[in-house]
Amino acid sequence: MSENEVARPVALSARDLRCVRGRGRDRFELEVDHLDLNAGEVLVLLGPNGAGKSTLLRALAGLDRSAAPGAIRNGKGPVTLVFQRPTALSGSVSGNVGAALLGKGVAKAERQTRIHAALTRFDIEALADHDARTLSGGELRRLALARAFVLAPSVLLLDEPFDDLDAEGQRLLSLDLAEAIAETKVAVAMVTHDLRRALLLADRIAVLADGRLVQHGARDDVLLHPDTPEIANIVGMINVAHGRVVRRAADTSWIEIDEGFEVPTAAPLAPGTRAWVGIRPEHLKLDVGRGDGQPIGKAEVESLVSDGLAAVVTLRVRDRRFTTHLLSGRGLARRLRRGDRVSLAVHPDQVHARAVDA
Amino acid sequence: MGPVAEITFRTLWVCGSALVLALLAGVPIGIVLGTRRFFSRALVISSVNAGMGAPPVVVGLLGAILLARSGPFGEWNLLYTPWAMVLTSTAIALPLVIGLTLAAVGSLDEEWELQVRTLGIGRGWRLWLLVREIRMGLLAAVIAALGGILSEVGAVNMVGGNIAGETRVLTTAIMMHTSMGEFEIALDLASVLVGLMLSIALGLTWLQLSGRAR
Repeated sequence: MSENEVARPVALSARDLRCVRGRGRDRFELEVDHLDLNAGEVLVLLGPNGAGKSTLLRALAGLDRSAAPGAIRNGKGPVTLVFQRPTALSGSVSGNVGAALLGKGVAKAERQTRIHAALTRFDIEALADHDARTLSGGELRRLALARAFVLAPSVLLLDEPFDDLDAEGQRLLSLDLAEAIAETKVAVAMVTHDLRRALLLADRIAVLADGRLVQHGARDDVLLHPDTPEIANIVGMINVAHGRVVRRAADTSWIEIDEGFEVPTAAPLAPGTRAWVGIRPEHLKLDVGRGDGQPIGKAEVESLVSDGLAAVVTLRVRDRRFTTHLLSGRGLARRLRRGDRVSLAVHPDQVHARAVDA
Repeated sequence: MGPVAEITFRTLWVCGSALVLALLAGVPIGIVLGTRRFFSRALVISSVNAGMGAPPVVVGLLGAILLARSGPFGEWNLLYTPWAMVLTSTAIALPLVIGLTLAAVGSLDEEWELQVRTLGIGRGWRLWLLVREIRMGLLAAVIAALGGILSEVGAVNMVGGNIAGETRVLTTAIMMHTSMGEFEIALDLASVLVGLMLSIALGLTWLQLSGRAR
């Protein structure tokens, strides 16, 4: 923990959590030895399909009956889960939000105040009297979040909260969600496939694969220092290659990926070590003679695709493909064409490298 | 009170009592079958489905055997009483109520119960929300069950005996007068029966439509 970080109270913890789903060939086991959710912190769960992310969320919400009693311990306050496909109860939008307070001994006046505050927080107060079953997908998602927040939860579990939303809908919802989390200090665990959106909210990242927690830590630690090439791929470090350390000088190790194609890294690796290298797309530079990083060789532009914000450039170096991101419509991104030859460069401290176990 | 009014009130009493009993037993069973997974659930559901299509006359026969003096419940002395008719009508309506409640629960989102549970809502309130959510399906169950009971004749005749002033109801009276060639009286009673069915159907349909509009 850095000096600037403040110790946050644990809102929910899982210890020796074991869940079993299905039978025979469909049997799936989830095993998590240790996972804490801290107040005011967003933990993003990443992993390939079928890794057990949603199973873990349900177990944390206490919905998995196969989990041993006592495996999940929560502090004070409710734990609630917003599902990937939220359900609207019959009745009005405000009635739906109010349903969460049923049987909780909340006085009528307070109930109205809390419902209004939750609807306002997610910008759906104008829909308060509408039939909840007529809402659009985005409105329904906001209703589900308002229904969760009206409980004043200590832990909020979100399963794909941005699923099926258009880009603008995702942007607005993530802003409202970030504000709500900051104000309420709720502990959040979120499953999402949208890495970009997740990174806007994440304080910590946990990576799951085959029902196991394979890496877990502070957001940048996991993003920049994944333990394995598989995890690197999951956290968006998609330029991965294997090679051997050929020399080390001035705090830089040079890893030869192909004959004559060497990548410098600040990782302390001794010459002769077999290693894998990971470079995030945003850290792979196209060297245009400004001395931005150390040149590592030439590549051919294989494709260039833009979503209007970022241009994804696929580059070929012999039989290998690398990817870099440029800002769309600006500078190099406007001039580049398929087949162009460009120079690649990296900063050694932005090249992640790990020795490959024998 | 004239004989037609007396028969009509008895019909309403028998049908109403049977409907209430079938709903009291059938709705909880339907909800449990729809929301819980247990060993032999498929067998129970198959039995319910078979029961929905069971011939009422067979139900009547079983009722007569069970309630006969020599039968297992003979000491209750229920055969040829209105209660025997209520029990038999309940047996006819019960699979319909269970089956339609089960279908209504099944039409909900698969994760409905989990989503409500995760809001920390207690079991009683969850049940209340569930019943509210499936109320249209329950209304359909009421309509189907009432239709089944009100139009039934063979089974209630077998266990009731069509005794004047005691177990005679509209359907058994119509059958008797028709077999005696008294078509005018049979037609009057049939008009009352059809009027009853139409009024009840209209009332329930109005409830159903106004419920959908909400």
